[in-house]
Amino acid sequence: MRLFETTEKGSVEIQIDEDIQAKQEELAERNRQVFRERGIRAFDITGSVGAGKTSLIAEMVQRLSANHGVAVIAGDVATTRDAERVVGRGARKVLQINTGGMCHLDAALVHRAVGQLPESGIDVLFIENVGNLICPSYFSLGVEARVAVVSASEGAHVIEKHPAMFQSADLVVVNKVDIAEAVNVDLSQPLADLEAIRPGITAVRTNCLAGEGIDEVLRALNLG
Amino acid sequence: MHEYSIAFQIWQSVRKAAGERGGGRVLSVSLEIGALNLLEDEQLSFWIRALAERDGSADVQLNIAHLSGRIECAACGARGEPGLPAGVVDHFVPPPLACRVCGSRDVRIAGGRELRVVSAEIQTEQSNG
Repeated sequence: MRLFETTEKGSVEIQIDEDIQAKQEELAERNRQVFRERGIRAFDITGSVGAGKTSLIAEMVQRLSANHGVAVIAGDVATTRDAERVVGRGARKVLQINTGGMCHLDAALVHRAVGQLPESGIDVLFIENVGNLICPSYFSLGVEARVAVVSASEGAHVIEKHPAMFQSADLVVVNKVDIAEAVNVDLSQPLADLEAIRPGITAVRTNCLAGEGIDEVLRALNLG
Repeated sequence: MHEYSIAFQIWQSVRKAAGERGGGRVLSVSLEIGALNLLEDEQLSFWIRALAERDGSADVQLNIAHLSGRIECAACGARGEPGLPAGVVDHFVPPPLACRVCGSRDVRIAGGRELRVVSAEIQTEQSNG
């Protein structure tokens, strides 16, 4: 540690050398360890406001709850609406994190929420991130896989405009395929953009409200 | 958009380091920030100053060194600073990254995500006396 006087006004310069990004990774690693110890498979579900994250989670919970103890952590800026929507679909525990003004979840927030889960009986955890296609991509939560959800109504260029999110995703869900024609969006465009950014990544087309494509999503996550 | 939470962590790191040396007003903070964090300097500085002011360190000076982004192309193996795909202009949204050599967008980020609190200058009673 260097410590030396630098100016006449009576000050010292201290070396800190702390990497904030590395600290985030450490916190994510701590979550990974907790999940491993407790036998929990955790998934980060990201996407814009209204893309269908909550609908996707509700449908997955419904299909998994017979054979799994499923918990959901829902990150939201100010309401408990998302948590209310998955209660009653078979989740053993639903927790809401109100982030206040924060535009993403981070590993520390998730760690605190995981501490509130029942000590046993949970083996699958869906973490619904804040509706935002930009900021959450920079924060690793320590999960097994990140699922990025986009919907037809976000336009043909949604993937091209948000490369960081899709570069950090492990699976992409293209939702609301049933209304693509009505909103004049040709889905081959975002899928071609995805292939350019992440060749070979799996993309599943869904209509979450009708429950279409959900089994394929579960299979892609090795949950089916 | 997430500048506040980053500013909060930066200021926590500075405050902790200053506290370990007996505290004192923080006069300046030196940071190294990688370009691919896409942090906006003005917003980040605003929040660090706001947090500093609350802790009695108004008018803290911020020295920000910018580190360039570095990518590795999965298609041709080239390494270096990222380019933009043909026809794309760099504006408000994070631009797609592409290889400068072959134009492929299948690239991995190799550097430019640094976010380092390097040092801080602290006023001390000891040196005043």
